[in-house]
Amino acid sequence: MDHVLKINELSKSFGDKSVLNGLSIDIERNTSQVIIGGSGTGKSVLLKCILGLIEADSGEIYFNQQILDKKNRAEIDFYSKIGMLFQGAALFDSLNVQENITFGIKKLESNLGNLSDIAVDKLKKVGLDSSVLHLYPSELSGGMQKRVALARAIARNPELLFFDEPTTGLDPIMADVINNLINEVIDEVGATAITITHDMDSAKKIADKISMLYKGAVIWSGDAKDIHSSNNPYVDQFIEGSSEGPIKINLND
Amino acid sequence: MYKYIYIIPETIGRSVLRMCASIGRIAIFFYDFFMCLITPPIYIKSLLSQLVRIGYNSLPVIGLTAFFTGGVLALQIYVGGSRFNAENIVASIVALGITRELGPVIAGLMLAGRVSASISAEIATMRVTEQIDALITLSTNPMKYLIVPRVLAAVISLPILVIIADIIGIMGGFVVGTKSLGFIEQSYIKNTLDIIEFRDVISGLIKAAVFGFIVAFMGCYHGYNSTGGAQGVGRSTTLAVVSASILILASNYILTSLVFTN
Ligand SMILES: Nc1ncnc2c1ncn2[C@@H]1O[C@H](COP(=O)(O)OP(=O)(O)O)[C@@H](O)[C@H]1O
Ligand SMILES: [Mg+2]
Repeated sequence: MDHVLKINELSKSFGDKSVLNGLSIDIERNTSQVIIGGSGTGKSVLLKCILGLIEADSGEIYFNQQILDKKNRAEIDFYSKIGMLFQGAALFDSLNVQENITFGIKKLESNLGNLSDIAVDKLKKVGLDSSVLHLYPSELSGGMQKRVALARAIARNPELLFFDEPTTGLDPIMADVINNLINEVIDEVGATAITITHDMDSAKKIADKISMLYKGAVIWSGDAKDIHSSNNPYVDQFIEGSSEGPIKINLND
Repeated sequence: MYKYIYIIPETIGRSVLRMCASIGRIAIFFYDFFMCLITPPIYIKSLLSQLVRIGYNSLPVIGLTAFFTGGVLALQIYVGGSRFNAENIVASIVALGITRELGPVIAGLMLAGRVSASISAEIATMRVTEQIDALITLSTNPMKYLIVPRVLAAVISLPILVIIADIIGIMGGFVVGTKSLGFIEQSYIKNTLDIIEFRDVISGLIKAAVFGFIVAFMGCYHGYNSTGGAQGVGRSTTLAVVSASILILASNYILTSLVFTN
């Protein structure tokens, strides 16, 4: 099996609060992997560990069979091979849409062409046209910011895309638009995608594979179509959205 | 009853430990900053825009405060000097006071209010909205892209601002001296030029460069390490202004007593 990413026994605590507990997961190439789980189960922390924004306490991460650590991320040029869509879009407020989208490209010294042509091309892929090129993030609606952020994430034709709660905070229609865009983008760029979300509708729509996170570990993994026949009481409770079941909400958490 | 005895040493101990921890963190931050400063790339475009923002845009504030400081200094020296018939030293004391002390200190403190606060709020907002994380995922070192240009711009700008503050401050003294205290213009100018030496100005400019570093570095440090959402942004802004102001006054004393007294 060809794995883009292998995560082995990853653990991370903040103070005496353990967030990831020996989490292991393998991500197959050219699949759309969705990781679901309740709020505060460590989904964002997992992404940040992979991206090197937080250092894990123990465990290993392999990217294309090479180990990823602090030193190595720069050496294998990890960041130019990935794209990340942040939960709050995280567009740079001091730069306009074009500068945001092409921000990472200058560093590649690529001859992909003129920067504004690249920006227009990527905007088209997320359903926007060149009229927004010179607007600033504060002049865009939430849904448009997400789309521009998506355009920035795919600007370098990454082989691995990360989406952190892509539909959170959007109305249902805009959420669906973003889901469709993610599907199109994954198909078109031919990338592997890792999405973390607690939105089951979104998960069903974009996932080939789904894994469920609970208390910092993967408690179920399988094909998206099998999610309703998992026979796993945790998964069943989560997709039903019920407060009755094995998952206990600790209100003090 | 017995356990209350420990409260005082415990409190002292804890604050000492906390202070050591922050000094350590600042030292590590400085080491990272220094390594980024001496290795390419340098973001020239950011540096230029920060020069405009930190230097050029501070001109009105610095000019106004320098003018009034020079004016009030002339008034006070006149009142004080007249008590022992030494009114004529007004021009000399205004010139020395402004170039050696008040020019750099006032400009530094104004920049602590204006620039430390805005740098810290800006970088802290970038931290809480994940823009700093986004920089990293786009292969850009945030220390190089955000911190180095701001600190360099402040270190370059403040000495230039202080030269201007010196001139305007002395002019403030001159205006008050000649228009309201009755000094003769030519002799006021002559007294000023006679007393100022090259090293008075230079000592002020060296101080200014140090203060510029403090202002930008404290703004960056507190902004970069901001946690806790919108409230955290406010807290880091306050910390940046307070720590920059205290460090400016403390380092001013140290610089004056160690280097510039003889
Ligand atoms: N930098 C941090 N410092 C301390 N605690 C953190 C930090 N980041 C995340 N946490 C804690 O880790 C837990 C998981 O957070 P997160 O991964 O953001 O959850 P989610 O699954 O909703 O994305 C939360 O309880 C949060 O308080
Ligand atoms: Mg999250």
